[in-house]
Amino acid sequence: MRIFWFFFAFLFLLTLLSYAFIDPNFFPLSRIYSGFAFENRGWASLFYIVVMSFLYLGYLAIVRMYLKKRVNKAQIIGLFSISSVILLFSYPAMLSYDIFNYLTTAKVLFHYFENPYLIMPIEFVSDPNLLFTHAANKYALYGPSWIAMTGLPYLLGFKNIILSIIGFKIFNILFFFATLSLIYKVSKNLYPVILFGLNPLVLIETLLSLHNDIVLTFFAVLSFYFLLNNKKIHSVFSLIFSVFIKYATLALAPVYLYSFIKKMKKKELDQDQIFSLSSYSMLAVFFLSTFREEIYPWYAIWFLTFAFLSKNKFLHGISFVLSFFLLLRYVPYMYLGTHFGPTPFIKIAITFIPVFFYVISFRYIKEKIQLN
Amino acid sequence: MRRLYLILIFVLFFFLFTSTVFAESSYVLPYPSSMPGSSLYKVHILYEKISKYWYFGDFGQFKYDLRYADKYLVEAKTLFEYKQYLLAYKALEKSNNYFLKLPSDLKKAQGSGKNIIEKENIFYEASRKHVEILKSLKIETPESFVWRPEKGSQSNLAIHKLIDISIKLRQSVL
Repeated sequence: MRIFWFFFAFLFLLTLLSYAFIDPNFFPLSRIYSGFAFENRGWASLFYIVVMSFLYLGYLAIVRMYLKKRVNKAQIIGLFSISSVILLFSYPAMLSYDIFNYLTTAKVLFHYFENPYLIMPIEFVSDPNLLFTHAANKYALYGPSWIAMTGLPYLLGFKNIILSIIGFKIFNILFFFATLSLIYKVSKNLYPVILFGLNPLVLIETLLSLHNDIVLTFFAVLSFYFLLNNKKIHSVFSLIFSVFIKYATLALAPVYLYSFIKKMKKKELDQDQIFSLSSYSMLAVFFLSTFREEIYPWYAIWFLTFAFLSKNKFLHGISFVLSFFLLLRYVPYMYLGTHFGPTPFIKIAITFIPVFFYVISFRYIKEKIQLN
Repeated sequence: MRRLYLILIFVLFFFLFTSTVFAESSYVLPYPSSMPGSSLYKVHILYEKISKYWYFGDFGQFKYDLRYADKYLVEAKTLFEYKQYLLAYKALEKSNNYFLKLPSDLKKAQGSGKNIIEKENIFYEASRKHVEILKSLKIETPESFVWRPEKGSQSNLAIHKLIDISIKLRQSVL
């Protein structure tokens, strides 16, 4: 039980730390703006690294406890619920400003009744959201499924920014739990649920930063769930819906087609093989995103879900390695305060060097096991 | 007295041998797209009709109307250059029709509480550019043209009259 409190304590510290990052232009919270993270970059980075490391240790300890059968189902549900409640109170733009982008894009459609694919937020000259929206000079970046869905949390906010953010938080919490229950339904095992649901990267990107990747992942897994249960039409629509959230899940098309054809021929699907292939496909898109812009930590959710659904040891290992080091990608900017200079190189090093060592050591360990 | 004469002569020369030059608008018109007669033109017309619904909202409608006012002006200019007067005449009429809708689009946007300052600037710059193009067209085109189709009766195209109307329409917002 102690380890649970340890985990919650660091989630709570993370929530507290998030308020040190309040944007000076985010006027709804201007009263509690301290500027701490911007004036004490060294301390903020150090606190972040410490909190993140202990959270990760807590995560690994809980996973170990589960493997030793010292955690029951009720405790796991409690872990997810309390973690969600703690992060519900966090400031969402600590590590990324995407939530403001979601909010303002939703405003373009649901408040101004303009097409966000044609009209940029910046075109609404006197809109107060422009003060803190960082991608106001861009057309809608996401697919129509996502834009349509954001209407719900946006309208639930009744034009109040804080209430809208809470709406987005509740929205993501619901999808987080829906994904967890789906993982459980597909795998009929609590292990992948714990691996995914307590992973600090998943928790932070889904419940703190409120990224929409959990939503596209949910619909992607749902499409495979429907396919496994012979609901082909539901399955196709789920995948299409997922693709039209962020387009990334289009990479699942080859694996999906292979599975679909197999199902049509009434052959049995190898669940483990499908999820491994899906994870590799998403991992490829994840690495390819370097060429588009850069690798963002929240993109890891794409392959983590399928990696933990599979029994592939290599994928589990790379997921552990990447999910920890990707969270450290925030540190160079946090410390240096610039996206230029050495920041991009440090970020690349933080991401690729651990992966390189992991791949080499995995082969070595595997060969040793085979020799024995 | 001599100095006064010199000044007077200088002033006279200044007014006689200099012409007024207005600053050109920085507004950029689109490239000419497919022209009437090409197989793609029908597709473009269909797209124009369908995309009207994609450009919903007051600002969206403003963008749509301005886009096609620009497009048809460029089309008219190109066709006039190729002496395709009937097609050019029709294109300019279309451009005018779209241009006419722009003030009401902006009024609607203002009515729904949107700040239209930037859009007004765009509208102003676009109008200036259109006037520039239309004035140059007036120099390059005949005053009128008698169009004789192979079958049917001939029609007289009052080209300069249409250009004057088009200029007036655009100058009314300047």
